[in-house]
Amino acid sequence: MLSDTWHLFNKYMTITLRMPLWSLFTLIQPLLWLIIFAQLFGSFVQTSNGNYMDFMVPGILIMTVLFGSSWSGVSLLREISAGTVDKMLVAPVSRVAIVLSRVMHSAIQVIAQTIIILVVAWSMGSTITMNPIYLFLGLTIVFLLGIGFAALSNGFAITLQREEPLVMIGNLMTLPLMFFSSAFVPKEFMPTWIQYASTINPISYAVEGVRAIMTTPQDLTLFAKDFAIILVFAMVTLAWAVSAFKALRD
Amino acid sequence: MTNLAISVSNLTKIFTDNKAVNALNLDVKEGEIMALLGPNGAGKSTTIRVLSTLSGFDEGEVHVGGVDIDRDPETVRRTIGVVAQQTGVEYFMTGRENMMVQGRLYKMKKADILARIDELAHYFELDKSIDRLVTTYSGGMRRKLDIATALIHRPKILYLDEPTLGLDIHSRKLLWKYIDELNKKFGLTILLTTHYLEEADSLSHRVAIINEGQIQIIGTSDELKNSIHGDSVVISFDDVNDKEKAFAEALKQSGQVSDILWDGNNLHLYVDNGASSVPPIMEQAAKDDIHVKTLSLARPTLDDVFLKYTGTSMLDTGEEETEEWWHQWAGKDGGKGNWKGNKWVNADGSQKGEWEDSEEWQGNDWVNPDGTAKETAPTTDTDPAADDSWQGNDWVNKDGQQKGDWGDSSNWQGNEWVDNEGKPKQDWSGTEQQAGSAEQNSNTPIDDGTTDTAETAAATPKDGDWKGNEWVKKDGQQQGDWGDSSDWKGNEWVDANGKPKSDWKK
Repeated sequence: MLSDTWHLFNKYMTITLRMPLWSLFTLIQPLLWLIIFAQLFGSFVQTSNGNYMDFMVPGILIMTVLFGSSWSGVSLLREISAGTVDKMLVAPVSRVAIVLSRVMHSAIQVIAQTIIILVVAWSMGSTITMNPIYLFLGLTIVFLLGIGFAALSNGFAITLQREEPLVMIGNLMTLPLMFFSSAFVPKEFMPTWIQYASTINPISYAVEGVRAIMTTPQDLTLFAKDFAIILVFAMVTLAWAVSAFKALRD
Repeated sequence: MTNLAISVSNLTKIFTDNKAVNALNLDVKEGEIMALLGPNGAGKSTTIRVLSTLSGFDEGEVHVGGVDIDRDPETVRRTIGVVAQQTGVEYFMTGRENMMVQGRLYKMKKADILARIDELAHYFELDKSIDRLVTTYSGGMRRKLDIATALIHRPKILYLDEPTLGLDIHSRKLLWKYIDELNKKFGLTILLTTHYLEEADSLSHRVAIINEGQIQIIGTSDELKNSIHGDSVVISFDDVNDKEKAFAEALKQSGQVSDILWDGNNLHLYVDNGASSVPPIMEQAAKDDIHVKTLSLARPTLDDVFLKYTGTSMLDTGEEETEEWWHQWAGKDGGKGNWKGNKWVNADGSQKGEWEDSEEWQGNDWVNPDGTAKETAPTTDTDPAADDSWQGNDWVNKDGQQKGDWGDSSNWQGNEWVDNEGKPKQDWSGTEQQAGSAEQNSNTPIDDGTTDTAETAAATPKDGDWKGNEWVKKDGQQQGDWGDSSDWKGNEWVDANGKPKSDWKK
């Protein structure tokens, strides 16, 4: 299974690296938000350590994850209709590997994108940590969340079987998920009902965890708690996507 | 008993509401090329999907390479190579990379894969392009790569699902050569589906005609043709009415012909001796005052066999009805419906809606509900127009006089539109299904050489025909209405006032 995953993952990476522009396109929106939001809200949103830029960079990172990995399912549908998936399925390939390689590929792509965002943020004067260990820990959450949303997207793709509703769900999902979390605004600013809504939103925990580890002072307990939640989220969605994929055999 | 490569007994596969495959039995011997021939939706692809472990099934037993497919699909996967209808090759990888990944998925050693790639690339004459991105390949090359990829792990059995669909005639012939050699040189057992008669006829050892999820008849193509006794006489009429039907029945009653089959406006008669049976048939037609448009006499072809066992001519099956994605979102009936006259009716026959006014076409006039003509089309009399016909590439009047010439002297040649130097103007292969069927018309020895271009044109795989200037369905129903009452007049397209809209020669 692992070697199948590795070969398929390699295949996807080869294809992605052949057209790097594609993955850069999904970067445009988070970058715009980073620049616009920092300018727009920076002057009046009060955050704990006073630097709104630092406060929202984790939010933007998580947003990149959402934008980047929620389309994984669309390409799965394309592959199904192009016959590529069938070609894999007629070979003695582990079915788990097919899903796993896809979500891994998506998550790795997202990691590359978040690193670019971080570089831009630093250059704009953010004081986000540069400590490699903290950065690495923060990126593990990014990676797991990427796995989770890519798995969700693949799972929806298989259950819906159609590209159009999938894109619709992707679009509908992104904005509420971002705003029903503390990605852009501290919790204290939110109306109570949004605060409640945010407690069942994985994005909240991801943002919280990344913020806990990447901004000073670091809060390792909070990070550990959020990491665990996101890990569970990733595992559950992945298991769902794999079982949906196994049921694909008509 | 020779070894069976594939043995299928009583296979049944049920989709939500219909049996795609219904108690199908099929045995394929080792080293054999077997063609599954059938119209779209007959269950060909479903059978292939089941045999390649992609689909489960509801009943029956399937053994591939002696292994029960239900019990040990992994072993079956190692034994078979599958080429699906769509080329599942990655466009942004080179041919070599594509084959490498596939080899890896079969757990082959790298050195072994590399050697095998060279071997296959050489065999399929892809040596030069193997390290180029697949995006630069032609359709035929992609298909070859697809087959090569499916052969990477040295399977014993190869499935080809519509291998030449959408390919131009040259690539198709080339592919046949490869398939034939694979079988002869390497002893590969090949099961292929096709809806090209010629493909089944020339490529396979045995042909199985499949319809409605069952094998209707199986045998070598000669055996199948011999199952229809004597010769076949095909008469085509301008129009089929009671008169023609009675004429056909009378012929059957009189014992002159052993069997009759209708295929649109074409009447297939099966007779013991073709040559001597034609004069009395023509005499009878003259006596009954029946206008025979064309008559051709031939040995039965696979098309006749096909017609007999599936009720449709192979030539009619060119167009594929696909399940549209929006059907499931379009309400209970899946949005299925149809035009009936000028009304859109649901699948259950209930009317969905009506157009605001109930004008109708009558002849070639568009009339109000009260029957008054709204506008009179320039050619008020349909008859002369109907008697004009294509002759070669000229549109001629009834009296054979040429109406006009086309601006250039390009022409159809096989399935290519060539200009006067015989150079192909454009490749037809883009239009897939249509092209294939059109080509079939020109290449399949369905009719003997007597039929002229007009006849071939009339036999295009549509479920209707031109009648005068209207396209009517087989059942005589008018297919649709043209938006305006402009019309062809000679070789000019005129509007309702008879003014030429544009000159054709430009």
